Amino acid sequence: MSAAASKPESLWAIAWHQLRRNRLAMICLGILTAYIIIWFYAEGVFWRGRILDKTPTYKVAHYEIRNLPPSAHHWLGTNYAGKDNLLLVAQGTRIAFEIGLLTSFIVIPLGFVLGALAGYFGRKTDTVITYLFSVIGSVPDILLIIGIAYVIHGVVDRSTAMQALTRYVDSGLLSVCIAMGFTGWVGLCRLIRGEYIKHRDRQYVLAARALGVGHLGIMFRHIAPNVLHIVIINFSLRFPGLILTEVVLSFLGVGIANEPSWGAIINDAKQRLWLGNWWELAGATAAMFFLVLALNLFGDALRDALDPKLRTADTKSA
Amino acid sequence: MLSVRLLTKITAAGSILLLALSGCDRKQENTDSTLYLIGGDFKGFDPVDSGDTESAEEVCRVYEGLLEYSYLERPYKVTPRLAEALPEISEDGLTYTFRLRKGIRFTDDPCFPGGKGREVTATDFVYSFKRMLDPRRQSDGDWIFIHHVLGARGWAEKGEFDAPLPGFVAVDDYTLQIKLAKPYPQLRWVLTMSYAFVVPREAVELYKKKFREHPVGTGPFRLKSWRQRYRIEYERNPSFSGQRYPDKGMPGDREAGLLDDAGKPLPIVERIVLYDVSEYYTFWQMFLGGQIGASALNKDYFEKAVTPQLGLSDDLKRRGVRLYKTPEPSTWYIGFNMKDTVVGGNNPKLRQAFACAINVPKLCEVIYNNRYTPANSLIPPGIAGHTEKPYAYTYNPERAKRLIAQAGYPGGRDKNGNPLRLTMIMPGAGSTDVRQMGEFFADHLRALGVELVAQQLSFAEYLRREHDGNYQVMYAGWIGDYPDAENFLNLFYSPNKCPGVNATNYQNPEFDKLYERIAIMTDSPERTALYEQMVDMVMADCPWALMTYPLTYGLYQPWFQNYKRHPFSYASSKYHKVLPH
Repeated sequence: MSAAASKPESLWAIAWHQLRRNRLAMICLGILTAYIIIWFYAEGVFWRGRILDKTPTYKVAHYEIRNLPPSAHHWLGTNYAGKDNLLLVAQGTRIAFEIGLLTSFIVIPLGFVLGALAGYFGRKTDTVITYLFSVIGSVPDILLIIGIAYVIHGVVDRSTAMQALTRYVDSGLLSVCIAMGFTGWVGLCRLIRGEYIKHRDRQYVLAARALGVGHLGIMFRHIAPNVLHIVIINFSLRFPGLILTEVVLSFLGVGIANEPSWGAIINDAKQRLWLGNWWELAGATAAMFFLVLALNLFGDALRDALDPKLRTADTKSA
Repeated sequence: MLSVRLLTKITAAGSILLLALSGCDRKQENTDSTLYLIGGDFKGFDPVDSGDTESAEEVCRVYEGLLEYSYLERPYKVTPRLAEALPEISEDGLTYTFRLRKGIRFTDDPCFPGGKGREVTATDFVYSFKRMLDPRRQSDGDWIFIHHVLGARGWAEKGEFDAPLPGFVAVDDYTLQIKLAKPYPQLRWVLTMSYAFVVPREAVELYKKKFREHPVGTGPFRLKSWRQRYRIEYERNPSFSGQRYPDKGMPGDREAGLLDDAGKPLPIVERIVLYDVSEYYTFWQMFLGGQIGASALNKDYFEKAVTPQLGLSDDLKRRGVRLYKTPEPSTWYIGFNMKDTVVGGNNPKLRQAFACAINVPKLCEVIYNNRYTPANSLIPPGIAGHTEKPYAYTYNPERAKRLIAQAGYPGGRDKNGNPLRLTMIMPGAGSTDVRQMGEFFADHLRALGVELVAQQLSFAEYLRREHDGNYQVMYAGWIGDYPDAENFLNLFYSPNKCPGVNATNYQNPEFDKLYERIAIMTDSPERTALYEQMVDMVMADCPWALMTYPLTYGLYQPWFQNYKRHPFSYASSKYHKVLPH
């Protein structure tokens, strides 16, 4: 960097430059943008139906055109009820993003706060939290998620408050998100705990302490900005995992029931796959494949850019 | 009557009930006299605990009762089995006297002195019936006796096993009397059920909790070995007493070769080997490979085997495979909880609107590949009381709209202008078919402005909710236990309300009066007329929106003989024959 530079670049600006130079990451970002546009479109369709109280097109069954192969009218053919597969796959994108975001709303605060508490205070707090996440982490994820999802399903069915909520959010989606939220925070919690252990004795922290800043202030105003990139990296790498888990759950019939998630589409498709109806499966699988691939590659690039210590060999030598 | 059996069948709705395999266990000899079968998981060989189809089928191989169904004759007919003849019934219809066949022996077993099976006497029946009613056994079959047999309820409440039960009398070794508190013309049907089979007291007392693994019966086969969830082997019971293949059948049976073995001693096969396989794909491959003799068809494989015209595909025809198609004595419906503040009560318009909004022929096509037919009466075909009268609430969206407006929900809106929201419980968590069906119903109701939330529940949860009456709308089916409309009409008799079998909590004093009349009448045109009147009464109130009657489609191999499906009898394997192939 030349001495003439008038203003030092921030971490984010450096990361962005780094990313700009990575062509693969930019392609992935383009793909992600396309998905986000589809997501917004699907949300628009969904909420328009809700607000105007009209049945959205993707939900209208046309029994006279069941199981049609792809054509100019229906690019991905139609399903068992004559609904257009392309529209369903687009709605599946909405579900995938909703799942990722809703679950992250649970995972990030939970993982971050618990990790911060454990790492910062150490001792007994650390022991308790470590014990908690070790126990949760030791149970195979999918089993635990299915178990919790069933319990939450039951709770949603019985409580009137939850029933009111399900007017706006699908009850299956709600239970899957809560279930994944309560199992998914372990990884983030571990990372944040490690970072806090590293930071808690650094000089800037000692200085803050000497100036009389309280524990909460140190944890969330001083240390947090220095570990926030971990959350972003973790989020971008976890996102595809959440989507895949939802697909598996819906395929197994535990997940979303009344909205077209990719898992449910694949579940429907398997019934006719042996008849040669490949298009139902292909649409949802391809949509999932490209989103997960793009997210993974972009997440890796983002990690390299944001966390220089983890940078892979070729970027170091560059 | 209900549910255990019903629910197993619900589970089986998309899968399979019975598969017979033959011949390809290369290690075995005598392949032509061994019947290979595939079965599901079952509970064990205890007649008092045989309410599900899988258990009933295994119990029927080793145990027997006083009466059984005629294998070939239709309409379904009861014939004597361990009784010498059909019972003598007293004038007032309250005393049934059975003369037992002499020389019937339990199979040899260490529980008897010297290991030699002893003769069955009337006392054994009294013991077995009491054992079934014993509250400690918690049999789900106690309904077959408890309401009708003299003193049965009092005895069960008292809980002393050896106290006499006045309704069951062993007059002498070969004479058994059943005394009733009120006439019970259905007794002959329920006595064919596995709940009423005879077991020896010695075996129950020796094996105690292990009795379910040590059957000691009079049936055509006896258990040779059982490895749970893997394999069961039966061999011919040497002390099985001289039953012969029937020589009377229906027109067409002779041509179908069903009478070729008339007069031959039963059972025809020497051995039965049954494997527990639960993956349909495996069955299908075994069937194509010629290992399985017969196979019911599930939805996924239906289109592979059957043409759109509902004939057999050319490939299977070339193999000589034959297709069978039998109506099942059951009705599937959408039930409304009459105690619910929205769908229940005296205003049937909303329920009628619901019924009119659903395109049942389309349901049959989309979800069932036309394997099911639209229902038009509570009582399915083949059972007295069924009429061909068209259903009063066939699909008619315009009428549905009018009806729902009359019900006080114009355009499907409630008083606050919100869409009416109904919740329907469905059995089968995780089942694709059930989810698609839920979507199907929701799509149709949306056209009416109503929002239907379909909840897929596990069987246990569904059963509990149904049993407790804790639901608004349910998707359900009823499978007849015996070929009498009374078995369907008791679902609307108000003393049977939840937790009884009247799961919709339907209440109509006039209907109750008629029910009390028909329940004690024997078969007559007058009773059939009353049945029709009662059906009309229920239809007008519409606690059920009728959906479908199932048809079972299945395939059997040319070398698998004497196969005729009987929806009420589980004791068919003694008639089956396997040709060398």
